[in-house]
Amino acid sequence: MTRHLKRQLISLLAVLALLAVACGGDTAVTTVAPVTTGAGGEMQGLIDAAKAEGTLSTIALPHDWCGYGAVIEGFKAKYGLAVNELNPDAGSGDELEAIRANKGNPGPQAPDVIDVGVAFGPTAQEEGLIQAYKVATWDEIPDDAKEATGYWYGDYYGVLALEVNKAEVANTPQEYADLLKPEYKGQVALSGDPLASNAAILTVWAAGLATGATGEAAAQAGLEFFKQLNDAGNFVPIDGNSASVGKGETPVMIDWTYNAIANDVNLAGNPDIEFAVPEAGKMAGLYVQAISAYAPHPNAAKLWMEYLYSDEGQLLWAGKGFCHPIRFEAMVAAGTMPADILAQLPSSEGAFFPTVDEINAAKKVVTEGWPTVVGVPVE
Amino acid sequence: MKAEAQPSFVGGATRPLRARLADWLGVLPFFLFSGLFLIGPTLILAYRSLENQAGGLSLENYANIGTPEVIQSYGLSIRISLATALVGGIFGFLLAWAVSLGGLPSGFRSALSTFSGVASNFAGVPLAAAFIYTLGRIGIITALFEWLGVDLYDSGFTLYSFWGLVLVYLYFQFPLMLLVILPSLDGLKRDWREAAENLGATSGQYWRKVALPVLMPSILGTMILLFGNAFGAHATAYALTGGVFPLATILIGRQISGDVLHNPGLGYAVAMGMVIVMAISIIIYSVLQRRSERWLG
Amino acid sequence: MTVVTAPVAVGGKLPPAAPSAKRSRFWPSVFFIAGALYFLTPLVATGYWSLKAEKDKLGFEAYRRIFDDPEFARSFLESIVNAAAAIVLSLLIIVPTAYWVTLRIPRLRTVVEFITLLPFVIPGVVLVFGLIRLYSRPPLLLTATYGSSRVLLVCAYACLSFPYMYRSVDNGLRALNVRSLTEAAQSLGAGWATIITRIILPNLRVALLSGALLTFAIVIGELTIALYMAQRTFGPFMADLVRNKVYEPAAVAIVAFALTWAAMGVIAWLTRARKTVAR
Repeated sequence: MTRHLKRQLISLLAVLALLAVACGGDTAVTTVAPVTTGAGGEMQGLIDAAKAEGTLSTIALPHDWCGYGAVIEGFKAKYGLAVNELNPDAGSGDELEAIRANKGNPGPQAPDVIDVGVAFGPTAQEEGLIQAYKVATWDEIPDDAKEATGYWYGDYYGVLALEVNKAEVANTPQEYADLLKPEYKGQVALSGDPLASNAAILTVWAAGLATGATGEAAAQAGLEFFKQLNDAGNFVPIDGNSASVGKGETPVMIDWTYNAIANDVNLAGNPDIEFAVPEAGKMAGLYVQAISAYAPHPNAAKLWMEYLYSDEGQLLWAGKGFCHPIRFEAMVAAGTMPADILAQLPSSEGAFFPTVDEINAAKKVVTEGWPTVVGVPVE
Repeated sequence: MKAEAQPSFVGGATRPLRARLADWLGVLPFFLFSGLFLIGPTLILAYRSLENQAGGLSLENYANIGTPEVIQSYGLSIRISLATALVGGIFGFLLAWAVSLGGLPSGFRSALSTFSGVASNFAGVPLAAAFIYTLGRIGIITALFEWLGVDLYDSGFTLYSFWGLVLVYLYFQFPLMLLVILPSLDGLKRDWREAAENLGATSGQYWRKVALPVLMPSILGTMILLFGNAFGAHATAYALTGGVFPLATILIGRQISGDVLHNPGLGYAVAMGMVIVMAISIIIYSVLQRRSERWLG
Repeated sequence: MTVVTAPVAVGGKLPPAAPSAKRSRFWPSVFFIAGALYFLTPLVATGYWSLKAEKDKLGFEAYRRIFDDPEFARSFLESIVNAAAAIVLSLLIIVPTAYWVTLRIPRLRTVVEFITLLPFVIPGVVLVFGLIRLYSRPPLLLTATYGSSRVLLVCAYACLSFPYMYRSVDNGLRALNVRSLTEAAQSLGAGWATIITRIILPNLRVALLSGALLTFAIVIGELTIALYMAQRTFGPFMADLVRNKVYEPAAVAIVAFALTWAAMGVIAWLTRARKTVAR
């Protein structure tokens, strides 16, 4: 009996020893950097400080989303920093959870910067999860796309389009109303779950706006539209994505133009992808950047922001990602937007850019109504 | 052939204190380890389920669990878990029987058990994709039916339904049942079979009166494993049907991870509800277990 | 516990001969074939799809893209090591616990089983963020470096394996008569260590193998916890390959399946029972 007791104690000590060894790692001290405004003279100081930190931790940046793969490579090449990419498939909620869970964590699990849907900017700010920073090109960011004191700022936008797989669909629908036609039976899908996906919920709202309704009534009209679509048998109640379009599982999907173009390039004709931007209910979606208040590498984070909002970063988003970078208007006016890149960006003229309050109001209507209005019978 | 009767020396004033303490030391590593890495996070989960959106502590999340929407999703999760536990349990058992006691070549058994090891974790996006390639609108079996002149989807069949989801879940439930029940089937003594036959029992009677009663505690235990496995599954259902089937796990994902709703406190409360459902299931299972152990005299 | 083994003449009549070949292999074969069809068809469908990467022709382009990547071998190896560590850890904790609960403290059985089933109801996202919260600050700082986070990851994986490991071991123990074996060994003077290592463990071979295989599969494919723990294991690598791609996912699924199956074959072979001389 005592021998067994001894073995238990030894194994316990072994486990504790293991933990002790593991605890002996480097502990970097986190500093919450003060609010600064970037300006030309401070750039070199920022670059040096960032290089001293050595790494940037990002989250929720898929390489095929807005050309982030090219942007990250460009950043790495220009400044020689390493980029530690946490879960590229994280949703906006995940990103905020990651900041919350990693408060005070000096390790590689803590994100430095986040890229979230615009409605999440104010939430993050209220909870004290992000810190303010104004990039050098701050003034060229439109006022309604940023938070005035610098907590969050729009990065890119796109418009919703009807993406089709040309191998399965002969006629590309041009407007939301076209989707109700019998030729699209069993073909139309959203790009996500409206209760979890930014693009999906904006799609429902956009379809409502296309019927001529406005404001909150449009959200309700959107629900009605999808009910009609479902009743007609045209709606495929699964979450579409680039792959499901390419496979032919959801040959018609409503998604951001930049995703449709990226999908077309990716598939290289196998099969062909086309898209049409509806004029009625043209909906624009904005995403925003922010720096975590608990970022373990605050200077690398700021340098990243400077890069994203520099001409180089903005042009990568436009050229490789087919997104409208936030400084689009200013760059076109200044002539720094090359013609060939300009040509491949679909027009966002006349698109509806909802404010955070408008989005929240529409969200409420759609999320409460979706399960019952478009209720797919369970079983 | 006696059952595991209540041990004669468990817990009692009859045993010296030192021996009883040593008993508890035997399970200390388990409690320590699970305390550190499992119960700790569960307590955090419980604490955060009390956080409301204003940042304070309250029970309002639990009040919100009482809504029809959440209750319906618990019901859905329980139904699918029960269905796959039962069907998976029965057919998994039959498969295990076939390769262990069915007289098939032993190579079949090792091939099937290693395959089951892999298949038991083949879930989520790849599994949903595999079934879409098979029975989806563009699947090969669907195409086969079309070639035979039958349009599957027109006739009302769809993979994206409750039974479609069950069909897909079974892909990892069968292997799980098989692997975990194999040791029990191996433990069925051949002597018992021979003795039963000597006494004139038919195969059916042997199974009904001898083998199944002996196996029942293990079968029940493995079925609750299947139940839990399906109950906590999320990725497969999401990959196959998106948010259409609002399972409890999907509800949680929407609140914690999604881009639209953002009430993590509610998500955590729903998760705590799942913990409670699991606890209730364990209690039901223990009662059934003890009953089945009594059969063994 | 002895049972009559020799056929006994009852009332002058010999019992029917052991119906071995006659107890036909019909139903076992039917079940096996049905099972094989159910399991293989989706894999064949996936395989077929994976060959379609180039337009209008069947080829191995998608596979080439996978194997060309050096990260493939590195991440697979890293996951294998994690899996081995998790299996050992899980065995070390579960086997004594199951044994103890069966033998000494049956009252604790329900509590222990409930704890082992907890990993099912705690979402991966919640578990990993909970672990990060607990272990990201002194005095229990485990997340500071990649290596220490890896230890944390392996511990989390061991916990994830508890439901499967415990149930397998429990089933295995029930199939033995643990009490009698223990009493007999004790009466022959064996200590606990001897009992567990030389009597219980060898008889649990099949159960341990089942548990090990299930744990291995879990660790190799695990994604969410590895991603948030910033670990570059096989799961994240595969997820990278399939993000937004159409044909690669099918190839990756086939490759992952085949590799894991091969690895399991190795595990099973390593733990096969030594051939014993009859009688």
